[in-house]
Amino acid sequence: MVNKRMILGKIGLDSHDNGLRIIARWLMERGYEVIYAGVYNSPEGIVKMAIQEHVGAIGVSFLGGGHLFYTDRLLKLLKENDMMNVVLFAGGVIPPKDVDKMKAMGVDAVFTPGARRDVIMETIDAILEKREGDRR
Amino acid sequence: MSKDAEIKINHLEGEKLAHFKSLSGLEYKRIYDQQDWSGTLPDAGEYPFTRGVYKDMYRGRLWTRRQQSGFGSPQESNELIKYLLKIGQTGINMDADVATKLGLDPDYPLAQGDVGLQGTSLSTYEDMKELFKDIPLDKVSSTLIIQPPCSAIIMSQYLLMAREQGILWENLIGTIMNCAFTQLVGPTFQANTAFFPIDLQVKIALDVIEYLIPRCPRWNIINVNSRNIRETGVDAVQEVAFVLSLACDYIKGLLDRGLPIDTFAPRVAFFSAVHLDLFEEVAKFRAMRRVWARLLKEKFGAKNPKSMWCRIAVQTSSLPLSAQEPMNNIVRSTIQTLAAVLAGTQSIHTTAYDEAYCLPTEESQKLAIRTQQIIAYETGVMKSVDPLGGSYLVETLTDEIEERIWALMKVIGEKGGFIRCFKDGWIEGQLNEARYRLADAVESGEQSIVGVNIFSEAGQGTEIDIFEQAPDMQAKRIEYIRQYKKNREQGPVRKALTNLNQIVRHQPARNLMEPVMEAVVARATLQEICDAMRTAVDFKIPE
Repeated sequence: MVNKRMILGKIGLDSHDNGLRIIARWLMERGYEVIYAGVYNSPEGIVKMAIQEHVGAIGVSFLGGGHLFYTDRLLKLLKENDMMNVVLFAGGVIPPKDVDKMKAMGVDAVFTPGARRDVIMETIDAILEKREGDRR
Repeated sequence: MSKDAEIKINHLEGEKLAHFKSLSGLEYKRIYDQQDWSGTLPDAGEYPFTRGVYKDMYRGRLWTRRQQSGFGSPQESNELIKYLLKIGQTGINMDADVATKLGLDPDYPLAQGDVGLQGTSLSTYEDMKELFKDIPLDKVSSTLIIQPPCSAIIMSQYLLMAREQGILWENLIGTIMNCAFTQLVGPTFQANTAFFPIDLQVKIALDVIEYLIPRCPRWNIINVNSRNIRETGVDAVQEVAFVLSLACDYIKGLLDRGLPIDTFAPRVAFFSAVHLDLFEEVAKFRAMRRVWARLLKEKFGAKNPKSMWCRIAVQTSSLPLSAQEPMNNIVRSTIQTLAAVLAGTQSIHTTAYDEAYCLPTEESQKLAIRTQQIIAYETGVMKSVDPLGGSYLVETLTDEIEERIWALMKVIGEKGGFIRCFKDGWIEGQLNEARYRLADAVESGEQSIVGVNIFSEAGQGTEIDIFEQAPDMQAKRIEYIRQYKKNREQGPVRKALTNLNQIVRHQPARNLMEPVMEAVVARATLQEICDAMRTAVDFKIPE
């Protein structure tokens, strides 16, 4: 069974949350259980919450340019806590070159402005299913 | 439903739009005539200022070209300001980074990843002097984008800097944004209340105003920002009704302090979005001026016509801008800029085409300024005042939007005003609904975005230059602030901070500008000053 619990949150001080709120709504309508962590989270706080809540995925959103700094820290923390089975996806205002970098670092999916609902949902479905398959 | 909205191009019947609603949901009629509108209008510069607050408008003086700027260290931003002035920007719009806005120094753990990203990192008095190095404070007007409690600190730094340069405070020209609710997206509750108690923020906003009024007669004391409200996806009517309701709350707060309306109302201003629906936006600004004028005259009893002026700075909305085919954004922001000019606004920031990727590059900033200069110097649209005035369409829309603004303001008033509605969560509920509605409208194709949900070409990437921060910028700022705190004389800092703390704790009615200014003089940093106030009311911030 795919773990349908996930955390969605903004990390750092940027509070542009239009996109994240919309994605949260879409995921809930898709049958996911979304724990909405709001704004001003630290990477440490998000990972701690992920452990406590036994989530299958973490979704984070950026606008101001903090995406590389924070995903790097998130991935390190996930590794340290032996949580590489938790899916990490990200979205927001992220230059194309950094999207590639983030994927190379280990972020499972990155969505940028204008990404369509069905594409986002199907991508997340597929990653979670594949991760579940890998675990078996 | 995420397919491209179906475009029906039938070569016999031609191309046709799916509906004729405005962006705010008003229905455009086939044609407008004297049955819709047959009124007359007072001249520009005359109450209720529908046609503009000045008689001569742009014939007397062009709008100010005021691009928001600021990134990295104060030194880097100073270079950028000088560059923008060189290519024809006429006012400064200093944006602080989010850490500064929230009252955090660069070395605060949760701030470190955001230092200098969306604005300039400012903390110390020396930072302020670096930022405005070689800029004549009495000749160029500056907008300081900062909210309370930090507006008290940044304003203190600015005033002390002017004094040090021998510039009289009465000659300073500019604006402190100073609004406790609208400097962050939303205003959503968590974003605006996590780092400082909201009631104390409002109190400090009023303290700043009260301090400035007798000392800086040419300075704008508050600028209520509806652009950040609009950018959640609310419509033009909500944008105006929300912002004017909030402004009324500030006015009531100042009247409660015993300040007569005409002493401060002329120094209140607004910052709005300009969206893409050209006629609706022009009508929105005309209606906004009329509502504000009537409120000031009839509700608050203003006598000075300047108190009734709704002076509006704008930034073209980023919502319609796309990451796909970014060059299309140049066309969009040109039309938005044109709308702002046709509406008679006072200063304009044309959003750069690369905003869906990054902070603007020098090249995209220059193009944004050139856009305004072309409209100003080549098109002639500014040569007559209120050129769309008397248009059956625009006048009908102006009346319709005005009526809807009054109706929504009445609802907010009955609920106890904007601030009450913010605290109750009603505002946030409205914003969230608008966000979901906008997302649905783009998904369904009800709102068309060329290159995104219509006429999109999969896989067509456009290469553009991307703004990049200096790689060691954040580390340098963090190190700077650590050294600064280590290497100053500590006695006066402790004394000034203790004094501020005690005043907040024991004299809740006392104006905080002077004790804050004393802390700045003693070389306390921005966060230290905020922390002195936070601890006085036992307020904890996110770690």
